[in-house]
Parts: sequence; structure tokens; C-alpha cells
Amino acid sequence: MTGNPIYKREMTVSSRSFRLALVLLVFNGILALVALLNMYSTLVQVRVTAEIQYTSFLDLYIFVAVLEFVMLIFIMPAITAGAISGERERQTLDLMLSTKMTAAQIVLGKLMAALSTMTVLIISSFPILALVFVYGGVTVKDIGMLLICYGAAALFVGSLGICCSAVFRKTTFSTVVSYTFVGIIVIGTYGINQLALFFSRVPGGAYLASASTEVASGSSGGFLYLLLLNPTTTFVMTMLRLAGREQISGRIVSWFGSHGESFISKNWVSCSVALQVLMAAMLIWAAVKAVTPGRK
Amino acid sequence: MLKIRNLLKVYGNYHAVDGLDMDIEDGALYGFVGPNGAGKTTTIKIISGLLCPDGGTVEIDGMDALANPSQMKEKIGYVPDYFGVYDNLKVWEYMEFFASCYGMEGLNARRRSQTLLEQVGLEDKMDFFVDGLSRGMKQRLCLARALLHEPVLLILDEPAAGLDPRTRLEFRETVRELNKQGMTVLLSSHLLSDLAELCTDVGIIDSGKMLMAGGVEEIIEKIHISKPVIITVYRNMPAAMSVLKEHPLVRSISVKGQEIMVQFVGSERQESGLLTCLVEAGVQVKSFMREPGNLEAVFMQLTSHEKERVVLSYDRESDL
Repeated sequence: MTGNPIYKREMTVSSRSFRLALVLLVFNGILALVALLNMYSTLVQVRVTAEIQYTSFLDLYIFVAVLEFVMLIFIMPAITAGAISGERERQTLDLMLSTKMTAAQIVLGKLMAALSTMTVLIISSFPILALVFVYGGVTVKDIGMLLICYGAAALFVGSLGICCSAVFRKTTFSTVVSYTFVGIIVIGTYGINQLALFFSRVPGGAYLASASTEVASGSSGGFLYLLLLNPTTTFVMTMLRLAGREQISGRIVSWFGSHGESFISKNWVSCSVALQVLMAAMLIWAAVKAVTPGRK
Repeated sequence: MLKIRNLLKVYGNYHAVDGLDMDIEDGALYGFVGPNGAGKTTTIKIISGLLCPDGGTVEIDGMDALANPSQMKEKIGYVPDYFGVYDNLKVWEYMEFFASCYGMEGLNARRRSQTLLEQVGLEDKMDFFVDGLSRGMKQRLCLARALLHEPVLLILDEPAAGLDPRTRLEFRETVRELNKQGMTVLLSSHLLSDLAELCTDVGIIDSGKMLMAGGVEEIIEKIHISKPVIITVYRNMPAAMSVLKEHPLVRSISVKGQEIMVQFVGSERQESGLLTCLVEAGVQVKSFMREPGNLEAVFMQLTSHEKERVVLSYDRESDL
């Protein structure tokens, strides 16, 4: 992929841009400030109570992880929604398509460049995240799980942005549509479950829950599985597992009423990551189709 | 080099290209002329592989271009009617980026870029940002970019649009030089005057159809024939009319006072023969001339959508 001309050009331009350096500075500055304040307050507390609250270091880790995840969900569409439409607006897309470059190379080059920018942001915050290792509580496996979760979310949201960018001609419109879809996936799937749960609990409203094969009274039914598409759910599950709360709220079957256990609910994070990667592949395919010279 | 047969491109009910045929010989400098919206850019985009046609065939260098789009792109250098440049990219980076799009990397790409930038006179601008170049320089840069992979057919879509006269002249000289070096060039414009002196062949397109095509000389000959012969008779108009009506090469006659306008489909030698006939019939001819033809005039005539009124009957038009 590093041989992809688009990827190389994007890297050249972004490394020259002052914007990336500024984003890195602000983002890591905020994280470092929060981390140092957290450590300071813990140490002050030690002086007063003579006991160390180890959970506060875990809270620091969770805070940094949440901030990174929120940033990822918000920044990825902004980076990718203008990737192809921007080329169209600059009138450079046809120039690239008139060369030996294929539509797939163009789309993948753009996506990889966006993912690289995201990776730089995440890796640059690792020293701050590593502060928690000083006191323990987080294993390398936890970090690995978190990275997989980030990777799947970035790929899914990034592919969504690229697809919108390939389908719609204007960057502004593409950005609006991308954020709308991200909103539907992140908030919409949650809202649907809330609604389904609400209707299942009012008399005569059980029909909404009937979408499920395992009809349980007072649950959102089959709509729960829509959350597999929601990267936030996967992230929250990963965080709850880390905090040792998976036996209580970390079990997806206990969300939105009482659901029966299934293979998917037992392997929620893996299934969700696999589904997000699958969705990303489909969105990339759609983007390639939209970019390929055709009959328009 | 390029053979197009029955090319068709339809958008809803609108035929952007409607059964177009085109032939470009090896080494030709072909002017593709037509008014705005005639279908030039659509045709060029189809040739360049940026658009799929709804029918017809495109053959480049003996190869079916529509069936082998990837191989076809190696043979074509495409310069669109816009610049297509990146901010934040220097001239040499721009060239090397497109070189890598053609699979050229490293020293090979750098050398080729340098040679071409020297060829278009931009060797001293290599470290400039592309966005900061003038229109003329951007156009030359685009030309250099299109030549990176040594194409056999160079396609220039309205390259002179928006350029000042001096830059336009310089650009024309560069294109002429490339053609002299053996490159086949397809050059489109909506201004025939841009191409008349430069091109070896011309194709005139309107409403997606090729109206006239051929060598520039050949077209001027056709135009010559299409122009009417104007005869001013001093005396003996009835005899003049009688001679003209019986002449096999006269297609139509119209009269205005002492002036007769004759649609005569003969050559220059046959024109002199007609004059002799008139004089021998006792017609006193004051003047006898064919309107001079030029490419611009025929272009206007061919692409005009107003129907001309042709008087076929002398009796109806004249008072005689």
C-alpha cells in the first residue's frame, strides 16, 4: 500500500501541512494536561488520606480511551468525506483516472491516508496512555483489544465517509450525509432499541419486539443486534470488560431489557468487529463502483 | 492511429454523440472543431476512457480501446480543458506523482519529469508550488504531465481557452513541435481560426455528428465548390439565363437586378468554361467571380441551425 501514489502524495501534503501538527499539539496537550492533573490529585489525596486510589489511574486510562474514540468518530468523516469529492472539485479525479491508476487504487489510497492520519494521532497519545502502566491494572491484551476496536471503528466510519464522497459530487453535501449516517449508526441504533423497549413495556406494544426470534417480555428484541453495527457499543463493551464490570453491565443481553444468551451475545466484540469490517468492505466496493468511469 | 465508428452517447433523450465516425492517421495534427455543446468533450472523454459510450467502436493504434481500457491509457496523453492542480504540491512533486500513476518511480521518473519540464520551458520552476504558476505555465505543466508515459496519441481538449494571445501562440508552437517529432495530436476547439493554420486535418462536429472531415486542403476545395459564382451581366440577361439553365453543373440560380448567383459544382477550369459559354452566347459579362471560401465561413455555415433559403427557380425569383 505504501507504493500507492495517492497515499504517498497525501502523506507528503499532510506532513507539510501545519494543520496536522496543530491537531497533534492540541489533542496531546489536552490529554497530557488531564493526565497530569489526575496524577496530581491522586498524590494530593495520598498526602491527606495516606492511601492510593488505584482506580483513579484506571479512570485516567478510560478517559484517554474515550476521548480518542470520540475524536476518531468525529474526525474520520471530516477527513474522508472530502477525499474523492475534493478531487472532483479540484478537477483532478479525471486526470488520475486517465492514467493507469484504477478506481480501487484511488479509493484505497485515500482511505489508507485517512487511517494513517488517525493512527498518528492515536500512537502519539500512547506515552500518555502508558502512564497507567506505572501503576498497573491494564494489560497489553487490553490495549490490543482497544486498538482492534479503534481500527474497526476507523475503518467503518472512514469507509462510510469515502463512500459518501465518491457518490456525492460536493464535499459539503458528502460531509453532511456522512455525519448523518454516523449519527444514525451511533445514536439511531441506540434510539431504536430504547423505543422498542419502551413499546414492549406498554400494553399491546409487544409487536415491535416480535422481530426477535427469542421474544422476551420487556426487551428490545431483535433490534438489539442492530447495535452490532454501532462502534460505540463495541467500545463500551471493551471498556466495561477492562473495568471488571462485564459480569454486570458488560453483558449485552442485560441492555434494553432481558435478552436470551446467544453465540453473538457471548462473542459480541468479535462479531461486531467482523461486521464492521464487512460493512467497510461493502462501502469501499460501492465507492470504487461510483468512481469507476461509467455511463454518467 | 484512431478509428471511431458509429459512436453513440445518450443522456435521456439527448444524443450528446450521435453516430460519430472519425479517422486520424498516424502523425496527423487533427483539429476537432465544433460549437459549444457539439459533443467534442464527450467524444474526447470516451476516447480517453473516462466515459463509456452507449454504442460504437473506438480503435487506437489497431487495438479495441473500449475492451482494453488499461492498455489504451498507456497510449493516450490527455490534457483536459481545465488544469487540475493540487495546492501544496511543488512542480517536480506534481510531475513525479503523475509519473508514479503511470508506474514510473525513482530516478527514472525524476529524469523523465526533468526532461519534459525543460521541453515545455518550466525547468526553472521546478521548486515552485503548482498553485502559484500562471495560467500559461499551468497549461504547459499539464502538457508535460500528459507526455510523461510517452503516449502515441496526445489529446488536447480546448487547450487555448483562457490563454492570452502570446501564450496561445507559444502553446501552438509547442504542439506543432511535438507533431513534427512524430506524435499524433487531436486538438479540439470551438474556434476554427485556432486550428486552421496549425492542423493537417480537420473534423467539424455539431449536435454529436461529424459534418465534415478531411485534410485542410481538401476541405478548402469542398468549401470552394460550395460557394456560389456571382455573375454581373451588363447586357443580354435572357441569353445568360438560357445558358445557365442548360448547363449541367449549375444546381441553382437566383437573380437580383443584374446580378446572378449561381450554385456551380464545377472546378476552377470548368468555371472558366462556363464564362466562355456565356461570352459565346452573346452575353456581355461585367464581372464573373466565385466568393472566396475559408474554413471559418464553412464552419459557420455547417454549424448554423438556420435553414438557408435556396432559390431553385429563376422564373419565380426574377421579374423577367
